[in-house]
Amino acid sequence: MSTVTDRERATEPRTERSPVLLAEGSRAYRIVVLVIIAGIIGLALIGTTLSVYRMSQVTAVLITAIAVIGLNLATGYTGLLSIGHSALFGVGAYATGILILDYAYSPILTLPIATALGFAVGLIVGVPALRIRGLYFSLVTLALGIAFPEIIRRFDDFTGGAAGLLIRSQFLTPPSWTGLTRFERGLWLYGLSFVSFVVVMLLVRNLMRSRTGIAMRGVRDHEVAIRSNGVDVARTKVLTFGLSGAITGYAGGLFAMNVGALSPDGGSFTLVKSIELITAMFIGGAGTLLGPLIGSTVTVFLPELTSTWTTGPISGVLFGVTLIVLVFFMPEGIAGRLQIIARRFVRVVPPDHPAARRPTTSTQNSGGNATGQKSVAAGGAEQPPGPNSDDASSEGSSR
Amino acid sequence: MELFVERLLAGVTNGSIFALLALALVMVYRSTGTLNFAQGEFALFSAFFAWWLVGTGLPVWAAVIAGMVAGFVLCAAAERALIRPVQRKSELATLIVALGLFSGLNAAVALIWGTDTKVMPSIVPNGLEDYFELFGARVYGDTVITWVALAAVTILMTLLFTKTELGLHMRAVADNAESAALTGVNTSRILMLGWGLAGAIGALAGSLATPLAPEQLSVTTMFPIFIGACAAALLGGLDSLAGAVIGGLIIGVVEAMVTGYVPLVGGAMQQTTAMVLIVLILVVRPNGLFGSKELERV
Amino acid sequence: MSALEISGLSAGYGAADVVRDISISVPAGEVVVVLGANGAGKTTTMRAICGLIDRRGSIRVDGVEIGSKPADVVNAGVSLVPQGRGTLGTLTVLDNLRVGAALRRDRAAIEEDIERWTSVFPVLAERVDQRAGTLSGGEQQMLAVARALMARPRVLLCDEPSLGLAPRIVQHLFATLRDINSEDATSMLIVEQNAELAMDLASSVYLLEVGRVVRSGTPASFREDTELRRAYLGY
Repeated sequence: MSTVTDRERATEPRTERSPVLLAEGSRAYRIVVLVIIAGIIGLALIGTTLSVYRMSQVTAVLITAIAVIGLNLATGYTGLLSIGHSALFGVGAYATGILILDYAYSPILTLPIATALGFAVGLIVGVPALRIRGLYFSLVTLALGIAFPEIIRRFDDFTGGAAGLLIRSQFLTPPSWTGLTRFERGLWLYGLSFVSFVVVMLLVRNLMRSRTGIAMRGVRDHEVAIRSNGVDVARTKVLTFGLSGAITGYAGGLFAMNVGALSPDGGSFTLVKSIELITAMFIGGAGTLLGPLIGSTVTVFLPELTSTWTTGPISGVLFGVTLIVLVFFMPEGIAGRLQIIARRFVRVVPPDHPAARRPTTSTQNSGGNATGQKSVAAGGAEQPPGPNSDDASSEGSSR
Repeated sequence: MELFVERLLAGVTNGSIFALLALALVMVYRSTGTLNFAQGEFALFSAFFAWWLVGTGLPVWAAVIAGMVAGFVLCAAAERALIRPVQRKSELATLIVALGLFSGLNAAVALIWGTDTKVMPSIVPNGLEDYFELFGARVYGDTVITWVALAAVTILMTLLFTKTELGLHMRAVADNAESAALTGVNTSRILMLGWGLAGAIGALAGSLATPLAPEQLSVTTMFPIFIGACAAALLGGLDSLAGAVIGGLIIGVVEAMVTGYVPLVGGAMQQTTAMVLIVLILVVRPNGLFGSKELERV
Repeated sequence: MSALEISGLSAGYGAADVVRDISISVPAGEVVVVLGANGAGKTTTMRAICGLIDRRGSIRVDGVEIGSKPADVVNAGVSLVPQGRGTLGTLTVLDNLRVGAALRRDRAAIEEDIERWTSVFPVLAERVDQRAGTLSGGEQQMLAVARALMARPRVLLCDEPSLGLAPRIVQHLFATLRDINSEDATSMLIVEQNAELAMDLASSVYLLEVGRVVRSGTPASFREDTELRRAYLGY
């Protein structure tokens, strides 16, 4: 406690403990990566020992997490707030359902088509983003979210309408190469969802490190500046929404395979779903890699948890209160907070980082950098440089 | 002809309810720059409160006014206690708080008053015989009262903003809160007041809507109305009062006409059609019909 | 007694102080100029005085300690013309002036003051019913000054009033400020980055560097110092 007050009193901010630096590609970094991979495989294997009910819950978490990764791409990383991802989820789910029932597709072969349709619808919705911004763009996505269940109900000879689509489990048998029987569908979907989740997460991780990923964050944080840097903002926005739709559509396809029953009512493809996805993204941490998984875990298990304490509407009240409390005390989300904490101990730097080359002096270097950045930021916040240079020129010519 | 007039009037009536709630959304947007996702649920809570008061023997008009007071207090308190502290953090954080309020208020209504459907009496006589004819179409009392309410609220709000010092200060805070504070305007009070007024107007919308709504008063009554209002406010331009009113009426009438005259759509896709229309309008006018500012972070 | 006495003022954003231990005295009826480079903390000082950011230290007007809310500061007789003017762009010029008198209750006198300032700044008189956002930069600056004066301040604070304005307009602005200062005995604290014109009005000058007052004196003493002159007065 006393150290905190000391730090507050000190005029120069100084780092309490310098983090260990991990250079990418170094030996230590590789070991850490291997440990993480081993951990993931371990977790996956532990998952297979769960009861049927628990395993299906974990599968639900993984599927939601994939959908949230899609949302996170558009909203968390690129800043296009979408209230219509329920529809993209639904497009994928109904694509899978209809292909299995009406065209006798093998379930796993429907996934590429669900993804492609999600991509296409995402692109179409992304196009208005070229002209329409901010909350108005959210309205466009809202329109999609509202339209989807109505369209499903209207074209009922195709979609089953309000009665819904029922995919009997005989159509959802695991492929023969897995060696699993019809009654081990839960295990098959668990494995498929787990692998899908890891692959999608890694793809998004690599995407966010590419030029496109940097452009996406640029669109979110300083659209005007990045436009003058030659980034094609329009293309970035439309493409992002397309990719986002593809991932969420894929999750929808998995969802259809997992539940086997689709209906336009009941909250799987209505705005309620959108709210659930946004909530999961925010609780986990918008714009973070692990956030979608953590957030989905919370949103799948929290209602169950609150309903074990109480029943009925009180759990809804608790859910609302929990959301608000989280915003107050953890606005960066759980993954965001973990990241901040982890950075105090370990920091991953690119291989050519100067501090990484000279491990002995690295601590002082990074400390000094942090201080320097702070004072620059404070000065920059006070007076933007642009107008002042104008001022200098007008003052200069006044004499 | 009769059928057309009937559909038109029904559209105007639904549109009036959308417009009232849209006015509430615009009030909030003008004070804190937020789209209040929970506005419909605030209205729901106030309407249930008014219904409960009617049950205790209070006259309907008094209960509606008490509901408006409750809406005012509830919304003002939410702004002060829940929205203001997170508003500086991020837009997304504010939205999540609103979603939390949305979920919490809805569940609170169900918790306090139950999930069964209530019958909220109309503020005016609305028996089967209480109508007059307009171009052959029957017009009932609770239809007229929504028109009157919308007209009254619009006029009062216009007077507030153009003729009073308070309205001047509200416009100043909406324009630039810091500059307004520098002249001594109590911005904190103005923001609470903006939300409070929105709560009161929303409560009025909720109380008037329920006798008209097909499902009467239940926990799901306000959400479709909120969606219509949301679309109306955005169509009008989010910060324009006139825009909210015109936007609301347009959406009400379009929905009614499409339901009546486009067989492909029928009764099933009226909201979709309205939304598609709005998107098309936004593509032509990205800031709504009457929006004055670009709604984006620079 | 000083009209405005700032002593030991520290303020900043978040954990770090941007300005530290600032003391400035504005004698009654006189003009004081604060010089400083970009980022020296001039704007932060002004914002701290007006209660827009948290501050420590003492601020007295006519010997009386003032409160920390913006309204307290205006009530005590201190008005700020903010950097970048802060015009209420969607309101008309007339409404901007009325907002300036937000804390006053003397309706008749408010109307008189509107008359007065629109005659002092004739460009405003021509445009009373126009939206302020449609005015040119110079006109908006005049409006910002007039709006601050509508509160009938004892001390007028101006944060870089010449920013982005054409030289001719800057000269006109400072001539007007000089007139107001001599007619009403309104004290002024003017912050400038390049302040040759402001120096002509000043009785004393302070120099701010990296958040601290590093020097103060008469305008003459500043002009004599070649290095200071080059750095801050530009000749």
